Amino acid sequence: MKIYETAVRKPVTTALIFIGIVVFGLFSFTRLSVDLYPEIELNAVTIMTTYSGASATDIEQNVTKRLEMSLSTVSDLKRISSTSKDNISLITIEFEYGTDMDEAVNDIRTVLDMQRNFLPEDTENPVVLKFNSSMMPVAFMSARTSQNEQGLYKILEEKVANPINRINGVASVSISGAPQREIQVRVDPKKMEAYKLSIEQISGLLAMENRNMPAGNIDIGSETFSVRVDGEFKSSDQIGDIIVGSFMGRNIYIKDVATVKDTLKERATEVLTNGERSAMIVIQKQSGSNVVEIVDRINKELPAIKAALPADVQLEMVLDTSDFIKSSINSLTETVLLAGLFVMIVVLFFLGRWRATFIIILTIPVSLIAAFIYLMITGNTLNIISLSSLSIAIGMVVDDAIVVLENITSHIEKGSKPRDAAIYATNEVAVAVVASTLTIVAVFFPLTMVTGLAGIMFKQLGWIVTIIITVSTVAALTLTPMLSSRMLKKDPKRSKAFMFFYSPIERGLDSLDEWYAGLLRWAVSNRKFVLIASFALFLSSIMLLTKVGTDFFPTSDNAQISIKVELPVGTRVEQARVLNEYLYSQWKEKYPEIEVLQTSMGQSDGSNIFMSLNSSGSHLITYTARLSKAGERKRDIFEISDLIREELKVIPELYRFEVIPGGSNPGMGTGGSGLELDVLGYNMDDAAVVAEQVAEIMRKTPGLRDVKLSREDYMPQLRVEFDRAKLAMNGINLTSAANVVRNRINGIITTRFREDGEEYDIVVRNDISHRTSIEDINEILLYNNTGKSVRLSEVGTVNEDFAPPSIEHLDRERVIKVTGSIYKRALGDIAKEVTAEVDKMTLPANIAVELSGSYEEQQDSFADMLTLLLLVVMLTYIVMAAQFESFRDPFIIMFSLPFAFTGVFVALWLTGTSLSLIALIGAVMLVGIVVKNGIVLIDYINLNKERGMSVMRSVVSGGRSRLRPVLMTTITTILGMLPMAIGIGEGSEIWQPMGISIIGGLTLSTILTLVVIPTVYTSFHAGDIKRKRRAHAKLNS
Amino acid sequence: MKAVMIIYNQAHSTVVMNILDELSVRGFTKWTDVQGRGSKKGEPHYGSHAWPSKNMATLAVVEDGEAGALIDKLRIANAQAEEQGLRAFVWDADSVV
Repeated sequence: MKIYETAVRKPVTTALIFIGIVVFGLFSFTRLSVDLYPEIELNAVTIMTTYSGASATDIEQNVTKRLEMSLSTVSDLKRISSTSKDNISLITIEFEYGTDMDEAVNDIRTVLDMQRNFLPEDTENPVVLKFNSSMMPVAFMSARTSQNEQGLYKILEEKVANPINRINGVASVSISGAPQREIQVRVDPKKMEAYKLSIEQISGLLAMENRNMPAGNIDIGSETFSVRVDGEFKSSDQIGDIIVGSFMGRNIYIKDVATVKDTLKERATEVLTNGERSAMIVIQKQSGSNVVEIVDRINKELPAIKAALPADVQLEMVLDTSDFIKSSINSLTETVLLAGLFVMIVVLFFLGRWRATFIIILTIPVSLIAAFIYLMITGNTLNIISLSSLSIAIGMVVDDAIVVLENITSHIEKGSKPRDAAIYATNEVAVAVVASTLTIVAVFFPLTMVTGLAGIMFKQLGWIVTIIITVSTVAALTLTPMLSSRMLKKDPKRSKAFMFFYSPIERGLDSLDEWYAGLLRWAVSNRKFVLIASFALFLSSIMLLTKVGTDFFPTSDNAQISIKVELPVGTRVEQARVLNEYLYSQWKEKYPEIEVLQTSMGQSDGSNIFMSLNSSGSHLITYTARLSKAGERKRDIFEISDLIREELKVIPELYRFEVIPGGSNPGMGTGGSGLELDVLGYNMDDAAVVAEQVAEIMRKTPGLRDVKLSREDYMPQLRVEFDRAKLAMNGINLTSAANVVRNRINGIITTRFREDGEEYDIVVRNDISHRTSIEDINEILLYNNTGKSVRLSEVGTVNEDFAPPSIEHLDRERVIKVTGSIYKRALGDIAKEVTAEVDKMTLPANIAVELSGSYEEQQDSFADMLTLLLLVVMLTYIVMAAQFESFRDPFIIMFSLPFAFTGVFVALWLTGTSLSLIALIGAVMLVGIVVKNGIVLIDYINLNKERGMSVMRSVVSGGRSRLRPVLMTTITTILGMLPMAIGIGEGSEIWQPMGISIIGGLTLSTILTLVVIPTVYTSFHAGDIKRKRRAHAKLNS
Repeated sequence: MKAVMIIYNQAHSTVVMNILDELSVRGFTKWTDVQGRGSKKGEPHYGSHAWPSKNMATLAVVEDGEAGALIDKLRIANAQAEEQGLRAFVWDADSVV
């Protein structure tokens, strides 16, 4: 018994199975969490090796090079890059997307273990840092205070950080910008000299004094007591009263030679929110937990947290990454619902029957909801990709049901009982329905096998559409006949009101049929003209391709801009502060769109990994601007960013700046993309010259902004050079001399002050007034073992110098990266123009310039897409050839493909959209969608021919009777995509190109297919009858 | 005894069965998936791509008096849906084992 027969005979079972699917699907839906993208395991690992005291070149030669060499053997490695700076080597290894990162990290550890013995003595063990997207903060909060400046850190830690940390899913909460308490012992070197004391003595003494010690147990009578010596400082005031020695019979207290201050750390990140000094609270999530859920939980706790804070501390959410996710998902949900509504209207328009429309529409929820089951089982989230997949599928799921229902209706009209009609009519079209589904699957299933970054995005798309389409076919073959057998009647009565509206539509459709038949008759008899004209149209569309720019990913407006301003290296933080005040007042006035502007400047205090990875320094100011929602303002982030650039350009004090629309988070599709050129070569001077030339070319190229070189400027430094002979004569070795210098300037921490369970550093160093000039360094006293003192100026010199820049490698070669961000121009065009100019340059020996960055990825994935396209075309050909059992007919159908691409180019050109990866995916999908029309058409023409009609008559009458189904399935698909192409709501920019290209391609190809395919068919089959006659004649003779 | 051979579009399957039941015709033989075409204007029923519909055939041997009623009922059924196609042929059944 066939599946549809069973379905019709057992309506209860059928209904319940589908109800089961829907219930399980809805259950899955409630369990799905929301996210922006499918989970992406970032494919990079960083290896950090510290080698104190080594310069950038030393690090490069002794650490980086050695490690790079052995690390490049790790499997699945894509790219290895490194930065060698003073004291530190950072190697970043990128793997192919989809590599098992745990395994990769293990491989790396093995290699590092092996290399450990070959590294210089003093290098510390290399640290492997694995990144994943969960390291990105999920929320930033800012806290401001007017009175509690000193205690802010502690208040925030206790009242904000700790409660938030307890929330399920929060990995860490760190506070920066709130000054941390520190106890400073500021020594006066002159007094110290007079008493013959050194900083080391004081710090050593402090460590000895500040101690609690258990002294064992003692039995007294029948009881045991433990004995303790509690010497820890009870308050910071005690420190000043400690005796460090005696001079001429008098006690010398610390307060005699130093001032003790219980105060805040000297160098720390300063954070300002909307121009006011504040503290920033960065919240990171645990990997695998859901951003939206966590932020929701935090927001729920927030009122309680706020209530517990002192009245003057104001806490507010600065950046809530879940906002963008939520509004993107909401707008996509609207898109899907709107698409559903459009499809419903189209079906009703063509069928003009309520019941039939209901039966067809029912397949939409059933098959879409099935996708949720897949999402839950595979542990995926409801994200942009999965929702867009629903939107793509919605127009296609009704197609099968339409074909089945149409045939059932015509059987009923011929007089069959609905029950019999349902079974036998379904039987007649089942093969065709399955075949057309297979062509769609032939397109979407290969998407699940795409690798790389695109693979992550399209895997879900491929699976979801495949599953939805398969379920929709099953529903069309079971649910649709079952419902038809129950609900359809012969000649249902239509109400007068309905007929009033519908009869003009029916008349219009009838005359459209007639008109089309006439057109076909003309086209078939003017075959040459039609073919030449359409070929010319296709050729001219290829010309259009040069006008359509290419891009990697469409950019979207996520209401964030980050700005990095660099003053000349070595600028003091006070200067930065002045500049910041100026910039803030300017921006506040000019860009009312900016809701929150967070500024951070000064040295990073390294309290969290996220902060310490960003470069920091007193000359750097970084801004994160949160703008109002994309829909609520006229200027987008790209326009505003460009205005800001113009403004920064005229400030002479700036060394350089960078404005990144979309923020620095490496999210896909958000913000702008960039062009990167790598200048490779060992000779640093030659490379620097070439890089500067390349940068000049890029600066001149329209559409490029923020062109900069990756190699940093030489850092000014004071280098203390000791004369070893003189040191030796004084009985001092270099290390101890260097330590003395360090302890005077940087300070020495040997003990911590404990209060209320918290520890604070006690720092001993020279008073700030004795650390401001080279003279102060020269005056430092060095003591040897016998207590004899010597001034630094006697055994060494202080030279002003510049430290070499960091040295970067790419794939083990020295590199200078020249990068620029793109504004309002297609990446492909810019890349072409820049390469053309760069090719004209004469390069010094052993220097090479290569394109990389987004453009490289774009080229890679475009190549992937072309392979995919070929694969898909072949697969659909196979499916069709199998259905028609012919090589010729699928070939004829393939004639509709060029026009699909024509349509894509025209649509992209008209809307000014560039050809991106997303638009290309749309083009690939078109292959499956477009040939469906051809299948429906050719199948019926063949049928007419087999029934004995002449080729011409088969074509005309076949075309006429298939016009409505073709138009109906096409229009449902087009209207299903329409909300996506219009782009409502946030984040829609990402998928817009796909909607545009599918609508353009499908519209043009359908219109042309309806004329060209029958014409080509006639040309191919015109000889059929003659051939038959000839074969007949042969047989007879 | 009369042998009534009914050949009909498979979509009439239930119709024919109902008529037999109504007239209390107990014995019959039924073939499903049979092919054929009408002599005058009847469409071919081949179960092929061009002619997807199929026929069924039922052979019932009834008492002489019952044959008339059966033919009448079948005629009405055919008239209700002429496009589907239903034909019945009657001949004598000489002996029964």
